[in-house]
Amino acid sequence: MLQLMDSVGKGVELDLYGAYYPPIYTGIKAMDIDGLIQGLHRVDGLSIFYHVFHPVLSSHIIPDDVHNDFALWIREELNDPVLAHLVSDVPGEEPKTVEDVRKDLIRIISDGSKEVQGRRARRPFSFLTCIPVVYPIDIKVRTLGEFLDQVATMPGRALVYHFVFKRVMGYSKTNDFSNWLTENYGLTDVASKLSKLDPQTYTDEERMRQDILDILRGELLK
Amino acid sequence: MIEKYAEFIGQESLQSIIKIAEKLRGVSILHVNSTREGGGVAEILQKMVPLMRELGLNVDWKIIRGDSSFFRVTKSFHNALQGQSDYLPPGAFETYDKWQSVNASEVDTDYDVVFIHDPQPAGLVDYKKRGRWVWRCHIDISSPYPPVWEFLRKRVEKYDAAIISVPIFGREDLKVPQFVVPPSIDPLSPKNVAIHRVTAERILRKFGLDTERPILTQISRFDYAKDPVGVIRTYKLLRRHVDVQLAYVGSPASDDPEGEDVYRKTVAEAGEDKDIHLLILPPNSNLEINAFQSGSDVIMQKSVREGFGLTVSEALWKGKPVIGGNTGGIPLQVINNVTGYLVNSPEEASHYSLYLLRRKEVASRLGANGKEHVRQNFLLPRHVRDYLMIMSYVMGIR
Repeated sequence: MLQLMDSVGKGVELDLYGAYYPPIYTGIKAMDIDGLIQGLHRVDGLSIFYHVFHPVLSSHIIPDDVHNDFALWIREELNDPVLAHLVSDVPGEEPKTVEDVRKDLIRIISDGSKEVQGRRARRPFSFLTCIPVVYPIDIKVRTLGEFLDQVATMPGRALVYHFVFKRVMGYSKTNDFSNWLTENYGLTDVASKLSKLDPQTYTDEERMRQDILDILRGELLK
Repeated sequence: MIEKYAEFIGQESLQSIIKIAEKLRGVSILHVNSTREGGGVAEILQKMVPLMRELGLNVDWKIIRGDSSFFRVTKSFHNALQGQSDYLPPGAFETYDKWQSVNASEVDTDYDVVFIHDPQPAGLVDYKKRGRWVWRCHIDISSPYPPVWEFLRKRVEKYDAAIISVPIFGREDLKVPQFVVPPSIDPLSPKNVAIHRVTAERILRKFGLDTERPILTQISRFDYAKDPVGVIRTYKLLRRHVDVQLAYVGSPASDDPEGEDVYRKTVAEAGEDKDIHLLILPPNSNLEINAFQSGSDVIMQKSVREGFGLTVSEALWKGKPVIGGNTGGIPLQVINNVTGYLVNSPEEASHYSLYLLRRKEVASRLGANGKEHVRQNFLLPRHVRDYLMIMSYVMGIR
């Protein structure tokens, strides 16, 4: 594979962008588990993205031991750590989109314990959505070597935009990296290994970057 | 100047701000509030406006005026919107509207994007001629006195967007988009720059504190919302176990009759204890505040009601763990057992203060986490970037 490092493959370039996701209050608050389920039914896909996948960015305010906002609220406000752990680990790997995650969350929370049904939070869960603001970072990847270098060094927000956001929002079936590796080089094995990483289980983009890099190094540098 | 922030946020983050600002070149922007100095809004705008200009944006900042009756009304609005009072001076709404009309004739709002800060100038939107208008609300409007909120809501609905500081402040009865943008601290201001230990020590000693013994500090006004009596009770509970001193550092309350009352009650609660230091510092005592935050062992913000509580971020930025009341914007800053502890009573506050005084390594860990948390989320450049993104949104620039 090392001989491919300087190859441009089929000549498809990968343009890199970063993105921020400024939050907007949806007008929906939940004070109990029923309210949470109703809110999950009502909010848009970007809201699911914001509460479930946006915590992959370390700037998102969440402790490390839960992976999303719903789990944190269930644990802190409804005092149900068991349900919180189930919600925390809701699967988000490919080909799951925010709509799949929404269904899974509603199912998991609806199946929660009877005790939690009667509990009322001190502080509400405020459903937020977001408006992605995408900006160019003026980097084009042309070769496999450049790709590896860029995965190691590109801004965390570019990593999340290309590896998480576009895919979970349904703009592409697979993440941009797997897509490019397949389309430009036919590297389906490494692409499918990348696709198995579940971004929902990370609360730090650098940890996720390291795992992506480990897969790429293991496959491409042999 | 803006490059100086790269030290705190990194080049990459700075570049993203520059990229987003590039889309807004040529857009004229106006900030309007009610005071050039004093208070958190003016403090933020003093720093933010020059930074935005440096990013190549055409930004102005204007102040509305009013007489004492107008500011009595807006003060009553402030309290009513935060659910603290239902008192309104006679003819409050008429006085408010009269001064909106006066200011509309004097303040040129012919800009592409107009940020109106807080309720005082919010009614200017009735005289809007052009541009996109954003209402920036710095206070908690989640449980307001209904007549005042209804009066204001009709005006807020005329804006293109609103900004709140904390998700729970969001209103279900507003149709206008409500962006969530927490406020920020400036790491380059004298209140927040790193100071030498000796500087902190000399200032603490000047105010009579013994720097060889542990110090517990709360920085806030003498206001029921900040629970100064609860802070003294916390200290007294803690004092049973450890030889600690308390510094409660406030600012003058001469324009606030309630403040004097709260101060008297706090003094009474403190009694003759020489290790309780109730201090009132003049405005702009930035270095002194910095010294108290940097030189203390544990910082408390035991509020029972709070807007955002930026003193929490200030303390975390100095690597100090914070024990904070579970209210307003404090839970955004104090994450349990990560950057400090959220408490609901003096007993809880005392318990965690003792824990942090005994377990220095835990205090260090929480303090380091807190500093990183503030670096990521509550520094001025992030605040600027959020405003830029909202401008892009209201201008329809993608």
